[in-house]
Amino acid sequence: MRLLLVGLSHHTAQVDLRERFAVDDPEPLLDKLVAGDEVEEAFLLSTCNRTELLVVTRQLEAARHRLHSFFTREMAAGRADAAELEDVLYEHSDSEAMRHLFRVAASLDSMVVGEPQILGQVKEAYRVAAGCGATRVVLGRLLDRSLATAKRVRSETRIAERPVSVARVAVDLAGQIFESLEGKRGLLIGAGDMGAIALEALHAQGLQELDVANRTPQRGAELAERFGARAHGLDRLPELLRAADVVLLSVGGAAPLLTPELVAEAMRGRGHRPMFVIDIGVPRNADPAVNEMQGIYLYDLDDLDAVAASNVEQRRREMDLAEVIIHEEQQRFDGWMAALRAVPTIKHLRARAEAVRRAELLRAGRRLELNDEQREGVEALTRAIVNKLLHAPVSRLRAGGEEEAGLAYLEAARVLFALDDSDAPGAEADDDPDAYKPE
Amino acid sequence: MTLLLQLAAALYLASGLAGAVSLSIAGVRTGRVALALMGTAALAHAASFLALHVVDPVPRLTDLPQALSFVALVGAIAFGIFARRGRLAGLTVLLGPLAFLAAFFAALHAPDPGVDVMGGAWPHAHVLLAGSGLALLAVAAVAGGFYLVENRRLKRKQIQASPRSLPSLETLDRINVVTLAVGFPLLTLGVLTGMMWVQGARGSFFTGSAHEAWNGIAWLIYAALVVARFGAHQGARDAAASALAGFAFLLFAVLGVGILA
Repeated sequence: MRLLLVGLSHHTAQVDLRERFAVDDPEPLLDKLVAGDEVEEAFLLSTCNRTELLVVTRQLEAARHRLHSFFTREMAAGRADAAELEDVLYEHSDSEAMRHLFRVAASLDSMVVGEPQILGQVKEAYRVAAGCGATRVVLGRLLDRSLATAKRVRSETRIAERPVSVARVAVDLAGQIFESLEGKRGLLIGAGDMGAIALEALHAQGLQELDVANRTPQRGAELAERFGARAHGLDRLPELLRAADVVLLSVGGAAPLLTPELVAEAMRGRGHRPMFVIDIGVPRNADPAVNEMQGIYLYDLDDLDAVAASNVEQRRREMDLAEVIIHEEQQRFDGWMAALRAVPTIKHLRARAEAVRRAELLRAGRRLELNDEQREGVEALTRAIVNKLLHAPVSRLRAGGEEEAGLAYLEAARVLFALDDSDAPGAEADDDPDAYKPE
Repeated sequence: MTLLLQLAAALYLASGLAGAVSLSIAGVRTGRVALALMGTAALAHAASFLALHVVDPVPRLTDLPQALSFVALVGAIAFGIFARRGRLAGLTVLLGPLAFLAAFFAALHAPDPGVDVMGGAWPHAHVLLAGSGLALLAVAAVAGGFYLVENRRLKRKQIQASPRSLPSLETLDRINVVTLAVGFPLLTLGVLTGMMWVQGARGSFFTGSAHEAWNGIAWLIYAALVVARFGAHQGARDAAASALAGFAFLLFAVLGVGILA
């Protein structure tokens, strides 16, 4: 059994090419893949940043050709030519393929390292593949391990601990000032896109009571409607500030809109309850002196950017630790795969021995006239002898599968017991299809 | 009894250490361990305190080690109640060692049997009420201290260093409000029962001792803090600083004056 992964991602392909390979419904593609002789099991992961096919095969070269042609013909369907595709497709086999999957699920290969969405996407892709029977023993176990590894990475490192987007940094900061955003009141001043993005992030975290104040009431009203907020003109600013716990500033204009005088008046009116002011306007909309006032926490775009950049750096530092975890899990899975490689030989060996035993029993039965009780006794005796003789070599093969020398043991067993010799006694048992099924 | 107190002391210390780890490296999981240790310590401590009351006669709580141990117990319980809602594990870094010192001190000194105490039940009531007030105001001071540190960090925009086991400023301020609102009346009742005790023992509500005078001043200071907080809408940062300063004065009045004397 071999693993092969072929795909493209943000590392190799631009978004215009990646989007041509986005798959909405992977099931028919998976069905097609596993219907062929080259592929035993298949898994397809398609996100906005990657499209990857991972398969289990007994014929690595044939599977490689199949996956490349699958990308070119079935998936691209005329939207990308083969030459263009060959430049961006990458390949990993066996240990490298499993390591790649572990890294992807743990978000080490993501555009934003540590982002949480990828784990859900892998889980969903696994659900679909398992649902249509494309994943079985090997990929089922590999995907289970990849999900467990991703969870280990998230819990044992700080890779996902700190936000790396400006909007998420603002949400994180709000969580350090307020116990919860539920029941708090938000005020967006201006109707710029950046303000809307930040407001969306805060809204998703429970900031439900919202006001939008804008110079142009029509534009403010459109945005307000989107968030179920109330729209106001800037003339009501002093009154709105008194009620607001989180203020987002995103207004054009040279003079600061939020002055210490205006904020001081608002703070008196609100009983000095804390206020979180996020100034994402350029030039800045709030006088920096506002931050010196008690209960006011003012962050401008540069502050938020600096925090985001520092968090990105921290995530990169945590990657080393995450790689160690992935290496451990990869080795563990490698061991399991190696043990799995021994299964066909063990089955083969047992089938041969059983065939020989039966043939000899049949021959002896013709010479000896045994009653039922005696026949049962001889059956039990011969089975016990075969089992005892095979016990040691089978145990060694199974244990050896997890070691470096495992392949040599397997090879030796095949030669010593003439498992590949079709003229050897008991070779007719090789026709038994069950002999090669993994345990 | 002593064994339970020793166990509580050890657990308080372990909780403080786990709290320190949660603040520095390990984050949320170690924080939960710190809280669990603090909760278990409080249970052992409460069992030890209840055990004091099944012996006859009940030992004197007016002994300094026993009184401090009771203050630590109430502080740990109050902290446990707050910790059910906020991520307070980081606060164990201060509360754990403080509770450890109090419990350890009490474990080293066997309680005095309850004989020769003038004033009937007033001394016991005085320690229970004043001790509870003191404990809550201690929690307010610890929350205030953390508030000032966190406020400074957020004002200076050093947020990449933010530990995950510390609560939000709002939570710290809420602890400050609640502990002041409950702690001050308890302290007041403690002062009143103390006066009743003195009256029963000496025939006068006020004998003019340094302890009484300094505690009277401390009570007046706290009364002013309560007025500033609830009457004049004092800002959270000023309230945190006041809680810290007020408790430092109260500690001096309760312990420092006696030690100096």
